[in-house]
Amino acid sequence: MEKKYWQSLEVYREMKRKGASDKEAMPEFSIDGLDESEIKGKSSRRDFLKMMGFSVGAVALVSSCQMPVRKAIPLLNRPQELTPGVSNYYASTFYDGDEYCSILVKTRESRPIKIEGNDLSPISQRATTARVQASVLDLYDDARLKGPQKNGKQGDWKTIDQEIKAKLDTLQRDDKEVILMTSTLISPSTIKLIGEFVKAYPNVKWLQYDSLPMSAMRQANDTNFGKAVIPFYHFESADVMVGFNADFLGTWLMPTTFSKQFSKGRKLKDGQTKMTRLYQFETNMSLTGSNADYRYQIKPSEEAAVLLKLYNTLAKKTGNTVFSAPSVKTDVKMVAKDLLKAKGKSLVVSGTNDLQIQLIVNAINSLLGSYGKTIDLNTPVNLKQGMENDMKQAMSSIQSGKAGGVLFYNVNPVYDCVHSDKLAKALKKLPLKVSFATTMDETAALCDYVCPDNNYLESWNDAEPAAGFYSFTQPAIRPIFDTRQFQDSLLSWTGAGKSFQDYLEENWKTNFFPKQKVFAGFDKFWFKCKQDGVYYFASPEMEQPKYKGAKLKAPKPKNGAVELALYEKISAGTGKHANNPWLQEMPDPVTTATWDNYLTLSPAFAKSRGLEQEDVVQINNQLELPVLVQPGQTEGTVGIAIGYGRSHAGKVGDGVGKNVYHLMNVSGGAKNLLGTVVTLKKTSKTYPLALTQTHHVMEGRPIVRETVLGEFIKNPAAGNEEHEKFLKSENFSLYPEPKFDAFQWGISIDLNSCTGCSNCLISCQAENNVAVVGKEQVKRGRIMQWIRVDRYYSEMADNPEVFHMPVMCQQCDNAPCENVCPVAALSHSDEGLSQVTYNRCIGTRYCMNNCPYKARRFNWFEYVNNNSFDYNMNSDLGKLVLNPDVTVRQRGVVEKCTFCVQRIQEKKLQAKAEDRELRDGDILTACQQSCPTDAIQFGNLLDKKSTVSESNDTGRMYHLLESLHTLPSLSYLTKVRNKEA
Amino acid sequence: MIMNKSVNVRRMKIIRLRAPLFLFFLLFFTAVSSLVGQTAEAEKNFAQCKACHTIGGGRLVGPDLKGITDKFPEAWLIKFIRNSQALVKAGDKDAVKIFNEYSKIPMPAHNFTDAQIKDILLYIKKGGKLPASAGVKKVPAKVSPASVQKISLSERYVQEKREGSRNLAIFAVISAVLLILSLLDLIFTHYLKAKWIHYVILLTALWIIGEWSWDYATGLGRQQNYQPDQPIWFSHKVHAGQNQIDCEYCHFTAERSMHAGIPPASVCMNCHSQVKSGKRTGKKEIAKIYAAIKEKKPIQWVKVHNLPDFVYFNHEQHVKVGKLNCTECHGDVAQMDQIAQVKNLSMGWCLDCHRAHKVQFTNNKFYGSYKKLHEDLKAGKVDLVTVKMIGGEDCAKCHY
Repeated sequence: MEKKYWQSLEVYREMKRKGASDKEAMPEFSIDGLDESEIKGKSSRRDFLKMMGFSVGAVALVSSCQMPVRKAIPLLNRPQELTPGVSNYYASTFYDGDEYCSILVKTRESRPIKIEGNDLSPISQRATTARVQASVLDLYDDARLKGPQKNGKQGDWKTIDQEIKAKLDTLQRDDKEVILMTSTLISPSTIKLIGEFVKAYPNVKWLQYDSLPMSAMRQANDTNFGKAVIPFYHFESADVMVGFNADFLGTWLMPTTFSKQFSKGRKLKDGQTKMTRLYQFETNMSLTGSNADYRYQIKPSEEAAVLLKLYNTLAKKTGNTVFSAPSVKTDVKMVAKDLLKAKGKSLVVSGTNDLQIQLIVNAINSLLGSYGKTIDLNTPVNLKQGMENDMKQAMSSIQSGKAGGVLFYNVNPVYDCVHSDKLAKALKKLPLKVSFATTMDETAALCDYVCPDNNYLESWNDAEPAAGFYSFTQPAIRPIFDTRQFQDSLLSWTGAGKSFQDYLEENWKTNFFPKQKVFAGFDKFWFKCKQDGVYYFASPEMEQPKYKGAKLKAPKPKNGAVELALYEKISAGTGKHANNPWLQEMPDPVTTATWDNYLTLSPAFAKSRGLEQEDVVQINNQLELPVLVQPGQTEGTVGIAIGYGRSHAGKVGDGVGKNVYHLMNVSGGAKNLLGTVVTLKKTSKTYPLALTQTHHVMEGRPIVRETVLGEFIKNPAAGNEEHEKFLKSENFSLYPEPKFDAFQWGISIDLNSCTGCSNCLISCQAENNVAVVGKEQVKRGRIMQWIRVDRYYSEMADNPEVFHMPVMCQQCDNAPCENVCPVAALSHSDEGLSQVTYNRCIGTRYCMNNCPYKARRFNWFEYVNNNSFDYNMNSDLGKLVLNPDVTVRQRGVVEKCTFCVQRIQEKKLQAKAEDRELRDGDILTACQQSCPTDAIQFGNLLDKKSTVSESNDTGRMYHLLESLHTLPSLSYLTKVRNKEA
Repeated sequence: MIMNKSVNVRRMKIIRLRAPLFLFFLLFFTAVSSLVGQTAEAEKNFAQCKACHTIGGGRLVGPDLKGITDKFPEAWLIKFIRNSQALVKAGDKDAVKIFNEYSKIPMPAHNFTDAQIKDILLYIKKGGKLPASAGVKKVPAKVSPASVQKISLSERYVQEKREGSRNLAIFAVISAVLLILSLLDLIFTHYLKAKWIHYVILLTALWIIGEWSWDYATGLGRQQNYQPDQPIWFSHKVHAGQNQIDCEYCHFTAERSMHAGIPPASVCMNCHSQVKSGKRTGKKEIAKIYAAIKEKKPIQWVKVHNLPDFVYFNHEQHVKVGKLNCTECHGDVAQMDQIAQVKNLSMGWCLDCHRAHKVQFTNNKFYGSYKKLHEDLKAGKVDLVTVKMIGGEDCAKCHY
């Protein structure tokens, strides 16, 4: 039986009702918000005269205009590495306190314009996430502080340094505690420096604070192994993976690394027929859950019980101790069978910050022999070191007045701690409050002094994300404002009299350089470190620590109560990057919502409560949020994303969504996203949500093609029967078949690898100067991003299968758009690209009408220099991020994916200049370069040995809507689920 | 002296072609004014060399000159000093070796006479100390100021074009007046009985006005003949013409970037750390470079060749890969005091060249990918490969 796919619940209901999906597409032009006279299309004689007068005036004005005088201003003294017009790349490190990624920073004329993945890094392996991609825009954030602040007024470093030093001295004399609260620090040099700072001021107490801690896992490992660490996971070595509320492909711990690992086991290249299997047990529909082969819905309160049931099932079969467990309905027989079959090649993880749960997970993993195989305890991950007890102590000493001062670095507890109001109140009494925030955030606003830290692209630093794996941050630009790195501030207060750059270098010279044997001189070693951005010190192989069992127990699942499951969105994260318009407008991969957080609940649950999409609900009688009906959400639970509701983020992030950090579950001792019991009350209000999922509907055509592994092994072309039909069909065209010499560019997207993480989307936005249009415009279907990651559901609305599919311009060789352009602004290149010439386009939008893929975007407004679109392209600072190689489009012009033609041209020129042939892999499009799963391949289709040709050479290959005979250059490979048929 | 003058005047006509000779007179006129002796002159001339060379003091930008006279024959040295780049281009082994060894920084051409160079070499041989015994030469020539003001061919072209446009505009105004008059007469006054005269006038006037409108309209947004004043009275004629400095000595990124690059002030200082005074402008203009460096304020040149923002143009592609000469787009810069935009830089102009210009098809391995074209070339189906044939007319080669 053929599966039916649907994009939204309305379509689904329609489908159920009619038995066919023929839902009409939402109109691309809506008359919402227009005047009555405009709708009727009436215009008076006066209007006509006005218009005529205006046009005559405009023509007269234009024709009398002089060309502006443009200046060419050379540097006085050119640094050797800088050639105007040529990009430089610097290896660096992104670390924002939550996420680590090794990167290359692309700079043009000394300003960073793009982040690329660093392929030398064994941790992130050229992958980035959407947040990393968007971080370059944070450098040009208008909200950044321009210099040190005292009581909200601009000060100067000298006096502020003196005053802070004096206060620190007084506090030391009075024997008052000073709390240095930082995010988790993974920089060995910074940690050493803090040690020295503490030595100089012994009353300073350093603590690491995470808004989303993973302290329970550290505690559990301490109990079981005597090591309070987060181990290094190897998803690539696991044949069967089981996730419990751990969105490891999206946000959990190291998504870049895990996505790479995960995709490795799911590639079906070169006749491979083995594939790993992922089971996901979760409350909300997460990105990982949407990629799972089997997905089970559990309530937060059931997690421990389900885990224990799984443990008991396994223990029974292997003859281990069985613990008493409360009964749950969830069937774990199949998981247990699979896990046992893949013993030693299996992995169970849980993202819940709960000691009991983590203990059970450890017990299961130990029973399955995962340690040493898929879990490495000897290479601990240094992320998320915050321990909640430290924070609790700090909180009480701030409240009791035991502490006299507090320094905040890279943390914003007034926004994101559970008891933020209490903290804000207590802070007022302290004599010294210093923040190192880059913007005037919620915490900084309550501080006496703000000593703004540099952006990470302006800083020196090192990092050790996991034991032995080192990584370096080097500045790609001079500090734009009068800011100073946090470490430099500490150095100046201790009176060390040197910069952190020197300190860092010295530390590496004395402490790390002697450990290696490859380089004889330090200079060469240090140069190599900076050039590669990473360095690895291999540690001797050690035996995994012995597992020491603990008593396992699980609380009884709550019945009847509505349980809240907070979650971290890929775009919003913990709220640190809330002022980043690219991230705000990034459609969530699962809900496809932009610019908001909302309450997700399952269709059946919504129905039972009489709730519809966009109805506003009161949570616990105070917080109001709109409803988003989310297929796949566990019955009786609601989900809300954290990271919204900032009040001091800046012009973009302020007031977007609601802050829900105070709803975190603290009943189990540790701060936990899941499990708070809430009450819901329907209000009479509604609140519009800007979803992109129904913007461009493709009318129920055979777009999604998939099969299961068993079928695939029998026939690699399983699920792709339409393609065979197409090949057999006779095609007749009035137009001559285009022929190419030398190059025909093509992209192949492996839907089996693609997780839908939307990294490509932001990467494309950064590369191609794509405008941000705002919620209002998104709602009207006018989103500009060139790539949209379509999300389809299939099967039941209660627990659907999910399908992610990036769709951009298909670069058809028989392009329907090209031959309808009345001004020949669209043409086909000799290299198979469908070209748009912006300066010729007059905006008839015929091409958009005629594009069956709906891959074209129209500039409804001037998005640059327009204060109605107050994001980044209307300020001088924000515009610095624009790629000078790509035209900034004006109003009334259609645009679309160009296959990064500027990159194609750049690499072709490079080959010509070097007098050599263009090699396969020279050109990497923006979406391909940092794809965490290597799902996107770009290359020359005429070259039969190119990666793209090779990956197309399989029965899984198909073109989107190929029956239309558009001959796209972009091809897809069918998705294969590792399911029993 | 009168004799000399007349000789000079006759020579003036060919001066543009023989810039070195011209400079010979200029240098002679200025450099030898103190006339203490040849060493003094050589010492003074050597001041130019000191910016890049030492005698026994180790290498600077260029090699240490100590013992140079023993290493190379005099005739070769004279050639090298006069125009090193010509030697390099001609493939002279020693010249290429030196050029490569010193990071491909070309030594600018020097317009000394043989005698002067010999004196300088002698001065170098003596370690830059001992006075020479040779007698004093009198200055033979005097340059008439007329030569300086004489305008170059391309400048004249620019002027003619401008005058042409102006004339057309005047014609258009006259035609407009005639048109109105004839209309008035035709309708109201009826002075002229023969109505065909009105119609002829009307049609001609409309034609001229149309012509002018077309000329004006196509020029909108284009800046052909644009010749703005620059913040420094810098003459390409002196630098590229008379001193024969290679274009890429100053515009050194033309072969490796999309921008040809306006030279940083530090590049000016390569020579102007020694050359502190110009022949025509004295110290005034050069002092502006020093001021810029001292005050750390970059010089704000006015950009002459502008393309719209939606056009991508890459110098590397054209200069390095296409091996185009700079003059093909920028005109005879060596003859311009003030740079003007000679070509109209319109898309039609670009495409005209793309349609006709030959690609370095067989010389560059990159084009090896064009298998079919190579076969056609071998089979004699095509005799040359133009830019158009490899996609030079594609929109997305320049618009993206």
